[in-house]
Amino acid sequence: MKEALIKDLKKIVSEENIRDNPADLYVYGSDASVHEALPWVVVRPKTIEEVQRIMRYANAELIPVIPRGAGSSTSGHTTPIDGGIVLDMKQMNRILEIRLQDVLCRVEPGVVDDDLNRALKPYGFFWPPAPASSRIATIGGEIGANTSGLRSVKYGATRDSVLGMKVVLANGDLVNLGANTRVSTAGYQLEKLMVGSEGTLGIVVEATLKVVPLPKFRCLGIANFNKLEEAGETISEIMASGSSPSMLELMDNIGITAVNKNLSLGLPDVAAIILFEADGKVKEAVDYEMEGMKRICEKHNGFGIQMSYDAKERTRIYTGRKKLFASLSRYKEGIICTDLADDMAVPNSKVAECAEKIHEIAERNNVIMSVYGHCGSGVIHTKIMMDVRKKEQWEDARRVVEELYDYVDKIGGVTSGEHGIALSKAPSWKKARNDLLPVMRAIKKALDPNNILNPHKLQDAPDDWVTATKLRYLVRG
Amino acid sequence: MKTKYLKEWENELNICIRCAYCFEGCPVFKQLSWEADGPRGKAVLAYGLLSGEVEPTKYLADKIFQCSFCRDCVERCSANVSIPDILTAARADLVNAGFKYDAHLDLLDKIKRTGNIFGREIHPPIQGGETPVLLGCRFLERADDAKRYLEILRRLGIKPKVVDETCCGMPFGVLGYKDELKAQQDKFRKKFPYKEFICMCTTCAFFIGKNYPDLKPKYIIEEVAKRLPYYNPKKLGLKATYHDPCNLARGMGMVDEPREILKQIGVDLIELPTKGKGAECCGGGGGLLVSDGPLAERLAERRMDQALGRGVDILATLCPTCEFNIGNAAQRGGGKLKVVNLLDLVWEALR
Repeated sequence: MKEALIKDLKKIVSEENIRDNPADLYVYGSDASVHEALPWVVVRPKTIEEVQRIMRYANAELIPVIPRGAGSSTSGHTTPIDGGIVLDMKQMNRILEIRLQDVLCRVEPGVVDDDLNRALKPYGFFWPPAPASSRIATIGGEIGANTSGLRSVKYGATRDSVLGMKVVLANGDLVNLGANTRVSTAGYQLEKLMVGSEGTLGIVVEATLKVVPLPKFRCLGIANFNKLEEAGETISEIMASGSSPSMLELMDNIGITAVNKNLSLGLPDVAAIILFEADGKVKEAVDYEMEGMKRICEKHNGFGIQMSYDAKERTRIYTGRKKLFASLSRYKEGIICTDLADDMAVPNSKVAECAEKIHEIAERNNVIMSVYGHCGSGVIHTKIMMDVRKKEQWEDARRVVEELYDYVDKIGGVTSGEHGIALSKAPSWKKARNDLLPVMRAIKKALDPNNILNPHKLQDAPDDWVTATKLRYLVRG
Repeated sequence: MKTKYLKEWENELNICIRCAYCFEGCPVFKQLSWEADGPRGKAVLAYGLLSGEVEPTKYLADKIFQCSFCRDCVERCSANVSIPDILTAARADLVNAGFKYDAHLDLLDKIKRTGNIFGREIHPPIQGGETPVLLGCRFLERADDAKRYLEILRRLGIKPKVVDETCCGMPFGVLGYKDELKAQQDKFRKKFPYKEFICMCTTCAFFIGKNYPDLKPKYIIEEVAKRLPYYNPKKLGLKATYHDPCNLARGMGMVDEPREILKQIGVDLIELPTKGKGAECCGGGGGLLVSDGPLAERLAERRMDQALGRGVDILATLCPTCEFNIGNAAQRGGGKLKVVNLLDLVWEALR
């Protein structure tokens, strides 16, 4: 069967853009998640027409197709759970147009976020989602996961900045979605539906994106807190005060300890640190925002407050947060950071309570969890830190994920704020939002009746994430 | 396949979260662009060998050896994982499993027979000074250049002591011949029995610093940068670019010293598009020149094009392998770019 598949694909794309060596398949069988499953073949299309022909063929032959950008998904979006064809979209990487008179640009899906921003910078504009992975994340991947990052508190997520797109449907048809205008009430906004659909509804082959003017001034502040609760109250009050931070980050004591241990930065040994930032075109306006946030920090017993416009000083202040993940990776010998339950979003007023709850759940279940994240947007990042080689730790992780997401649901939060659902978050998300499942399945069925586009993800993902695929670690016992 | 060496790296392979940040600057990935060509892909393959999930094949081994060990991935790693060290272990296990390349064996045989990578008996310009100086294979072969660089040291107040030497063992290490590396290291220690010394070659300095815990090599440029201001060098009035050798910039963190020297000798430095710890590799390291010569050549040509694109006709560097690889690319490119060792510019300024 595989030989026939390769032979047929060679009629669509050149041989040099097809790989089926076991080594390549193994590499494309994992991403940044805990999951692993092998595709049958990897194909690099270079044109829309090639994507259409591949989809027509796959649809006729009932072969799964999994679109893949950088493969940096933390939940298993690009894990080919049923095998099939992985479409490596990184070769479709042209910036087609920067049209400033309409404040937009058109790009192919393989364009890397940072490359786009480098191209926009001379014009004084930027593409705002800013995920931490912007150096390698592709626009197609960002659309698939509705990515956002540390500045989402002001600039929103990918969905907020996508105006339109060209999509190849499961049957190979090409459709133009959205508009070149800021507003549109002309029919269903299917371009918005595609954002965050995790490759289950179509293959994005071109995107029209809204760009935003670069701010002229940026000021970053840092405040220390002896109680996590007070840091949480500060975040909530800053957001409720009408302030417009361009970044509002929290880092807990486990994070601080990890950074100090690894980098000797000498961060104060406090319960929590908040980083707050404002940006804008007018310095006085930025000053106004910063002073307002500073007062709120002080009101909640924030101390050691520093603020700076200087780029070098901002870098110094931000170093601890930037190096947090690397430091957590080295927190304790034999303990590994896993991307599980890593990006829930909760109402601002619940950030502190949620942080405390995370620590409690972790302690009760024999794992370590640090709390940090873009808390102005309600996004709480954590890593479940455990000995991945021990089978019983995966049972611990299973309990942590379930308990934590049950709690997040109870306080009105969502399973994922930034990274998406895919496989590892699907059981909890399905449990929390089972009212949505029939609707989503109906949409999926309408657009992909043969279930070939990234099958068994999201609403169709297995009910146990631990056994959904092989785990990518060597687990003993 | 037995994974004697990779076993030691299981924890680091687990720490790698496969975020793919290492793609960003990888010169090999930029050229070949399949994920198995990038650092994450190679780390995944190493994991596959360790777990037994992938079969060791010639195809896989080619991927593991197709890396210049430029350490760009180490700089960009979100979890501080050293992929070159993991690949070194993978190479060693592959070699033990029988994946041996004729070009590698030929190179190592030359070292075993003659003590240097050229396979012929070469003696250094013996000098009876006070401070031991290790030339390294490439400067052994470039005797006239080595003599000039020793003269630089002398003019800067150092009395170089040069003795017969043998290869530090770097090729054994990077090509996966770990068991034979030990024997070569013993030979090295016997011939060159000094704890503290000056290294003329960037690669030797980095390799010895990393693989001989008790030795304290000092790279020549440290001394030159420290002493030159007191010796009133001439201003050369040249315009040139500077290519940061990987082992120097990323390996040993020396980014400012060469630039300071260029400033002192009146060279108008036109920086390449990537520089310092973010500088692109010329392709000459990690054994890539012998594992995949055409790829190493393409990487050097890219660096040459970047230099010419900056409107300069002189590229200075410090690593003799960078000089060799980019120099050859420049020759193939019609000789529009002159590749020099930065020490030659220093010599001009001190003459």
